Amino acid sequence: MRDPDIFVQDLRKTFVVPTREAGLRAALRSLVRREHRDVKAVDGISFAIEPGEVVGFLGPNGAGKTTTLKMLSGLLYPTSGEVSVLGHVPWRRRQEFLQAITLVMGNRNQLNWDIPAVDSFEMNRAIYGLPRRQFRETVDELVEVLEIGDVVRKPVRTLSLGERMKVELAGALLHRPRALFLDEPTIGLDVAMQRRIRSFIAAYNRRNGATILLTSHYMADVQALCRRVIVIHHGGILFDGDLRALSDRFTSHKTISVALADPSVALDGYGEVTSREGDRVTLRVRKEDTSTVAAKLLNEQPVSDVTIEDQPIEDIIEQVFAVRQAGP
Amino acid sequence: MSRLLQALVLARTFLRISALNELQYRVNFFMELVQSLLALGTGLAVLALVFSHTRELAGWSQAELLAVMGVHILVGGVVRTAIQPNMLRLIEDVRDGKLDYLLTKPRDGQLLVSVRQLNVWQSVDCLVGAIVLGIAVVRLQRQLGVGQALGFAAALPLGVLVLYCFWLCLATGAFWVVRLEFIVELFDGIYQAGRWPVGVYPLGLRLVFTFLVPLGIAVTVPAEAIVGLAGGRTLLLAAGFAAVLVAITRWVWRRGLRRYSGASA
Amino acid sequence: MLARPRARLRAVRERELERLRRLAGFYVAVARTAVQEQFQYRVANYAYMLGMITEPIVYLVVWSTVARSQGGSVGGYTPAQLAAYYIVWTLVRNVNIVFTPFGWEWRIREGTLSGMLLRPVHPIHYDLAYFAGWKLPVVVMWLPLAVVLSFAFHPAIAVTPAKAAAFFLAIWGAYLIRSMFMWVLGMITFWTTRVSAIYMTYFTLELLLSGRIVPLGLMPPWARTLASFLPYKWTFGFPIETLAADLGGAELLTGLGAQALWTAAGVALVAVVWRFGVRRYAAVGN
Repeated sequence: MRDPDIFVQDLRKTFVVPTREAGLRAALRSLVRREHRDVKAVDGISFAIEPGEVVGFLGPNGAGKTTTLKMLSGLLYPTSGEVSVLGHVPWRRRQEFLQAITLVMGNRNQLNWDIPAVDSFEMNRAIYGLPRRQFRETVDELVEVLEIGDVVRKPVRTLSLGERMKVELAGALLHRPRALFLDEPTIGLDVAMQRRIRSFIAAYNRRNGATILLTSHYMADVQALCRRVIVIHHGGILFDGDLRALSDRFTSHKTISVALADPSVALDGYGEVTSREGDRVTLRVRKEDTSTVAAKLLNEQPVSDVTIEDQPIEDIIEQVFAVRQAGP
Repeated sequence: MSRLLQALVLARTFLRISALNELQYRVNFFMELVQSLLALGTGLAVLALVFSHTRELAGWSQAELLAVMGVHILVGGVVRTAIQPNMLRLIEDVRDGKLDYLLTKPRDGQLLVSVRQLNVWQSVDCLVGAIVLGIAVVRLQRQLGVGQALGFAAALPLGVLVLYCFWLCLATGAFWVVRLEFIVELFDGIYQAGRWPVGVYPLGLRLVFTFLVPLGIAVTVPAEAIVGLAGGRTLLLAAGFAAVLVAITRWVWRRGLRRYSGASA
Repeated sequence: MLARPRARLRAVRERELERLRRLAGFYVAVARTAVQEQFQYRVANYAYMLGMITEPIVYLVVWSTVARSQGGSVGGYTPAQLAAYYIVWTLVRNVNIVFTPFGWEWRIREGTLSGMLLRPVHPIHYDLAYFAGWKLPVVVMWLPLAVVLSFAFHPAIAVTPAKAAAFFLAIWGAYLIRSMFMWVLGMITFWTTRVSAIYMTYFTLELLLSGRIVPLGLMPPWARTLASFLPYKWTFGFPIETLAADLGGAELLTGLGAQALWTAAGVALVAVVWRFGVRRYAAVGN
């Protein structure tokens, strides 16, 4: 049994943030005496990730996902706790460690803006000291799989958002890292591109056996890629386990929201009514019943507008939290 | 030693790639040439005007001052070609959070931020400066010996190194003060003072321009070397100062990184 | 029936007064925004100012050295008089900062100009008001610098009420002239974006012939004659000399008159070029 690739024990990160109220007097006061506030971004989390696992970090904005990722990749010093990635302490930033990991942040590019992607790849080759032949093979492979053959020679700034993300991924994987840290990799992309990126990552994991840690606030990202999911909220772990279990328990339902001419009509026969606001009524129905219930509603009631949505992640997390509160 | 070699190889790769890409924007060449010539014209006009009223300035002859101007333009060209673009990019990366990428690379962060970019067309200034320097040396009517040439060859890289350290220390301020882009204008303004030898300034300013903003070592010393006014002692002092500055810069960089990574001080 | 035409005249005058009142209100509002914004950027403003005063200090040191080597004065200027010139220079330089012609390309590209065209006020008023307002935080920040410079260089300066009044008028005249001419330069961008060379040539001429490098009195006679036909000296040298030199009443008045003429010329140029420029801008679209 191999050691886990990533091992985290009671990890904490507290930021000290200067506080200042608005107004001239407060501004003057802050010149003399600085006031600070402690923000617990990560408040004691523990987990272990085995080699080759694809794990999703799920949570709303500000939950502590990115902070955790930064501590795992060595960018941030933890306030306390133990971290070990591939047998190294990340913040020591040993060369061996850095050769084996990669970081991709969805909304920030690392490739040089003005030059073609292939030139940035060359720069990465020099940085990682990759032998020429291995480098050529890796590049050809990535270009083929990501279908970026016709865009790698154009300056990165001329590419569309989706193309940019693909060349970013290629550039990040040239040195065949053992651990991938992906921070919101599909943010801002259209649905088709999101799906392509996800399938690439899944295929990469199958082919290379790399350990992948992915953060997202899109449930779809995690559902497509991860068998295991860690839900983070307010700096703590709410759920760590099989995705299907989370899925079945908390996303087995969908919401149907209808606008009715007469909103006082009783709709309990269709599903669980969760809210009535003005002329809008929101129902909660089982996923498999969604289309039949919607069709019935449209046929039998004077519906002027209908919206069908997944349960928002905040609801899911609230439910997870609620379950945790209840306790075993 | 092998690490230094590796660093040089890395630098060469980076600079080659960014230079090759810059070269395709040929229109920039003409822009830079026009700008360079206009600045040169202004400098020459001022020098001529000064010497229409006097024969020497604080012991410096017109040809010697022309040599200082040549070195000033040349060193300025090197700064704008190789140093400033990297420093500006560092400041922007800190602001945009892109420095994270650099820090996950298995190479020294200071090296990476220092060699990423090359604004090739600014090197027109290097050419113009070299020509002016050449003309000044010819007009000196003194024999240029091997000693002077060697002294200049040693003093010039030392001057560039000192300015690099200065700039990096400034740019590292971005780790503390996020919006630092104005630093470029500040430097360009103060760099003007290097057009004249630091001996011209009153004592207070002379100290400022020698130790605080090291224009003395960057411009005056190489100029003195080539016109034969600087001896081995000056060069040794300059080298010593440069070594100290390199050490300080390294320390400042590491402090900056620790702050960026949230290490409890 | 004399009342009707008089009533009409009064209505027209009232409309005009109302328009002026609204314009004045606009100026106050924009100027206030400028003060608030630029006070927030005080560090950047200070850094820019420090870089900017290096230029005159260098000239001051050089010319003072020349003066001392020539027996105490050069071209009639002693080091103390030179100090006065260059210290007042720093204030005048700050006041004649206006919207840069290089900014026009950005303005057109970002669509900001289109936004300004939609307002019922000519865009130049925005620039005039904003940069005027900016002067307030700038002057406040400049004062301590002026004190330090005075301690360091011992300027010889005598301020009389007449000179102060003339100076106040002269710097605003300089501001207006420069605003107009920079606007005309900027509007060239309507026709072509390859304007760098033109601008740089203009600025070099301004540098050499405005009294920015040296007091005009130190320049060769042919340069002085040339400078008198150009607007540059009225944006720099003249305002400086109203305070730093000892110009007689007649000189002050003719100088202010010349500024008024150049301002009028500038306004006329702006009006003409703007008319053609906007037409072209609307035709080309953005």
